[in-house]
Amino acid sequence: MAVYKHNYSAYTGSITPPWKRVAAIARYAFLEAWSSKITIGLFVLSLLPFVLFLIGIYLANNPLARALINSQGPQTIAIDARYFAKVLSSQCWLGFVLASWIAPRLITFDLADNALPILLSHPVSRLGYVSGKFIALFGSLSVVTWVPCLLLFVYQGYSSPQPWAAANLRIAFGLFAGAVIWIAFISILCLALSSWVKWRVVATGIIFAAMFVPAGVGGIFSAVLRTRWGLLLNIPVMMSNIWQRLLGAPAPFNDRLSLPTGAIAVMLGLACFLFIAMLNARIRAREVVRG
Amino acid sequence: MGIIDLNELQVRFGNRVVLDGLTGELKGQAIGLLGPNGAGKSTLINTLLGFHLPAKGAARVFGLDTRRERAQICAGIGYMPENDSFIGNMSGVRFVRYMAELAGLPAATALERAHEALFYVGLGEVRYRKVSTYSLGMKQLIKMAQALAHGPRLLILDEPTNGLDPVARQRMIQLIKEIRKEGSIRLLISSHLLRDIDETCDEVLILKNGRIAALCNIEEERRSNRSFIELETVGATERFAVSIRSLGCECASFPGGRIKLVIPDNIETRDLYVIASEQGVQIRRMNQRRDSLEDIFLRAMDNDSGRAANGSLQAQL
Repeated sequence: MAVYKHNYSAYTGSITPPWKRVAAIARYAFLEAWSSKITIGLFVLSLLPFVLFLIGIYLANNPLARALINSQGPQTIAIDARYFAKVLSSQCWLGFVLASWIAPRLITFDLADNALPILLSHPVSRLGYVSGKFIALFGSLSVVTWVPCLLLFVYQGYSSPQPWAAANLRIAFGLFAGAVIWIAFISILCLALSSWVKWRVVATGIIFAAMFVPAGVGGIFSAVLRTRWGLLLNIPVMMSNIWQRLLGAPAPFNDRLSLPTGAIAVMLGLACFLFIAMLNARIRAREVVRG
Repeated sequence: MGIIDLNELQVRFGNRVVLDGLTGELKGQAIGLLGPNGAGKSTLINTLLGFHLPAKGAARVFGLDTRRERAQICAGIGYMPENDSFIGNMSGVRFVRYMAELAGLPAATALERAHEALFYVGLGEVRYRKVSTYSLGMKQLIKMAQALAHGPRLLILDEPTNGLDPVARQRMIQLIKEIRKEGSIRLLISSHLLRDIDETCDEVLILKNGRIAALCNIEEERRSNRSFIELETVGATERFAVSIRSLGCECASFPGGRIKLVIPDNIETRDLYVIASEQGVQIRRMNQRRDSLEDIFLRAMDNDSGRAANGSLQAQL
């Protein structure tokens, strides 16, 4: 089938292993996600707090800067679990903004153009398709969450006059685990919601609504029934609880906003189950009308 | 062993039986899939691709079970869906390359084959344009290109001439004929248009209400030495048809006094005139011709129960 011959010839070459097809989906999805200028803009925006926190670490460890700060007043910058909790929190929420923009690009284009029959007619399963998209989104969010967080940790370890890193390895683990839990959760959430909406902008709006509307409903529930269990619908509060416990930082809230870790894990697990069911119902080559 | 083997295949959507008891062996170089709307053509294709699971029975492609060995089957199939199905945001060459990579080609080879496939179907000059900007005919062709790029063993074309103007349709038919002539690919073509199937296929499977109404080799049907006559009559057509049947002719009546019949060797056309004269029926036109796909199709549709038939269709008249 040479270009100049304009005739057909069968393919007799080698075939790639199945995992490479999932990798191909992930690669094309990744390129699709980053082909948008808005994605680049959001990425740059999400690195601004990183730069600010980097400057904070520099100032905290530079003797001249410390002397200047101390001359202005008694306050000093403490680089500890609380500081990294702020880093993780800010990076993760900026990651959510990025995810709400990227995820609809990965799924809704395929749905709007009815590409699933062609995509799934190839030797790729529905699980493989969703996994490819998930890997692309997870990878994109990693760049703005646990990667910069760990870079700051390494920089603090490097610039601290005392042997700081070895004594604070729990923070590194907390940064990584906290970010991975968050981006895995929002990746599934964003893909599931995007798969039900064909319009990209609407999908972005629905993702934001899914994050904050249940929190409001949970707040009403808590206020009416005078219980704290309404917080189980409040994803921001649940995640703050998890991040604080993983980093070993002091609780940012009073006891009324604290939830048992087991309850949070069950709630997040149920939410993930729901999102997977949504994906299972929607990511199909053919819609079946049962009668 | 055929390319496609169906063994009591039944597909259900909830309580609705869409395909019921399909049994047969399809082994032609180019197999036509015919039937009215809702007959189950697309469902059969989707079942072969593993999109729908059989409720009973089994379907095998290249001897592989569609339920358990879907990935191996799909690796050897090129599928051109009936409706628009593409990624509009991608350029033509990128889209075809992506599909070839999903079929298992290494990235560099996929790119090379994507260029070649696009030139082969006639989209070489527009391969860097976004697919969303293509005309309807171009979209049909790019679906064909992605189905061909990875060098499948079986090409499934669902309504390949859908929405095409006469020139584009002719080009598509020519393309299908070239692929068939090349010989390394088997074709399964679903269409409403008898002419498309007639021009491109050597075997036909006719579905009706989810059952096989006919399965036959078109070439053999054509070769069969049968005297086929089409009559246009005025008068008591039904009584005339009954009298002809009593002579031993196979006969099917149609509205407007049209009668199609196959006369045995011992009957002359003169005998028909004699009967017509006795019953006061006027024969306005007599057309003696070979069996066509249209006749095969109409006979299959005429058979209410819809049942399998291999080879001769005489019993269904």
